[in-house]
Amino acid sequence: MCGTDDGAADDGGRGRGRDHGRGRDHGRGRSEDHQENQEARFSELLEDSAEDLYEHAPCGYLSTLLDGRIAKINTTLLDWLGYERDALVGRKRFSDLLTVGGRLYHETHFAPLLRMQGEINGIALELKTADGTRLPVMVTSTVKTGGDGQALLIRTTIFDARDRRAYENELLRARQEADRERDRLKVLNTTLQKTLLPPTLANVPGLDVAAHYHIASADEVGGDFYDLFPLAAGTWGMFLGDVCGKGAAAAAVTSLARYTLRAAAVYSPAPDAVLANLNTVLNHEYNGTDPRFCTVIFGLLTPDPDQGGFHITLASGGHPPAMVMRHDGTADSLPTPGGQLIGILPNANIATTTVHLAPGDTLLLHTDGLTEAHTAAGPDGRYSDEALLDLGRALAPTTATDAITAIRDLLDTLGNGVDDDTAVLAVHVPRTTSEEQQ
Amino acid sequence: MSRHLTLLTRTTTAGAVIELAGDLDHHTAPEVRDALPGITLAAGQQLTIDLGGLTFCDSSGITMLIAARNHALAAGATIALAAVPERVSRIFRIVGLEQVFPTHPSTQAAEDSWHPTTG
Repeated sequence: MCGTDDGAADDGGRGRGRDHGRGRDHGRGRSEDHQENQEARFSELLEDSAEDLYEHAPCGYLSTLLDGRIAKINTTLLDWLGYERDALVGRKRFSDLLTVGGRLYHETHFAPLLRMQGEINGIALELKTADGTRLPVMVTSTVKTGGDGQALLIRTTIFDARDRRAYENELLRARQEADRERDRLKVLNTTLQKTLLPPTLANVPGLDVAAHYHIASADEVGGDFYDLFPLAAGTWGMFLGDVCGKGAAAAAVTSLARYTLRAAAVYSPAPDAVLANLNTVLNHEYNGTDPRFCTVIFGLLTPDPDQGGFHITLASGGHPPAMVMRHDGTADSLPTPGGQLIGILPNANIATTTVHLAPGDTLLLHTDGLTEAHTAAGPDGRYSDEALLDLGRALAPTTATDAITAIRDLLDTLGNGVDDDTAVLAVHVPRTTSEEQQ
Repeated sequence: MSRHLTLLTRTTTAGAVIELAGDLDHHTAPEVRDALPGITLAAGQQLTIDLGGLTFCDSSGITMLIAARNHALAAGATIALAAVPERVSRIFRIVGLEQVFPTHPSTQAAEDSWHPTTG
């Protein structure tokens, strides 16, 4: 039934006569006549369409000579632009309809590509209308060639892209909004992270204290924590730990761990009892398919009036060993074998060790973001406990501030290799002037 | 930075076996967590995790092994690790989990050590 379409497209007005020529004369049945009538009506509709389709098509048509001069333009495009036909045909070039930027693009890209390829598709440009407003459009051009392959003219279709441009602007606006949200989230994360850390460490008489928190990713809140705080009768509590995981869920555990540790230490300051309390709290709170745990080291510092310095009891729940850097230039790690990570097992084993921190000695606690950092130098491509102990031996004797500075430099060197947050806390017993003279 | 993790599961008479190869860290650990609910275990069976191909395991990886243990215990099953790399053993010693996860040199040894329990 739609076979007449070909006729209309191919030979325009001639279709009518041909179709009318068929049919009527052989006395057919009613239904066949009806069908013929329909075909005739369709062809009448289509008969006008070749010219009408060109002039009033839902897109702009433009034919230009090879030098760009406008040879033919349809009514749709004239209406969009607000020009009379005579103002453009033979008088203007296609590039005259473009904005300054568009003209530049036309000369440097559009026209050369069209010459090379014979066609160019879907280029976004802006046309200048008669009243000076801009019309965003999508332009497609082909070169019409004669039988000998010689280029004759350029045919161009132009689609109104105002809706598309509005859509793109909307996408851009949504993206900018998302970027702003992400920045806000980063600020929130960083702020939240700061609230999880003590803003300043307590000033302990006779002790030099320094700490550093390295944030591996601004997008996610990490789970490292530390603190140093006064307990009864001249004693001090300190802890440093690492909650497994990142993000809001880990931050909730970090917060719970920090406040549980401080409260438990007030209640019963023996380090193994403090960690046993924390274990019970976390184990009750988190079990099942999304286990949450932390490794933590807790220290109780008691001044030693006889020898000077501090007596320190350390309890560890599965945490990497602390390191002591002595005044005599040696360094040792303080292993706590058998200590189990906190929060997983109903009765986690807590291991303790003691150390005397003499004047000139420095104790360093760290989380495993440091010893698990990717590096080309270490075994398995990771910075190791052994490497850290070597660093301690090189540093000793040192102070809390110098030790933390050295660790910060190391973290800078490792750079992006540090893919987990890292916390370090150092305490140092300064030598008195008389000791230094000896 | 992180290498990929591959995860294969199969079933033996002793129970399910999970083979992990590559880096088990906080980028890849969710793959294991997502796979766990699909692993069915009968009471008395043994869930074996073969770590022979593991190149790295951080605390997120340890979390997944604990989640696997919880998954097994919830089904009344037990857990065993096979071919644990030295570096992972070292982490286990640090965090005190070497007593919590029975280990075997291979999945075959883990299967051989399993005895069906009745009741």
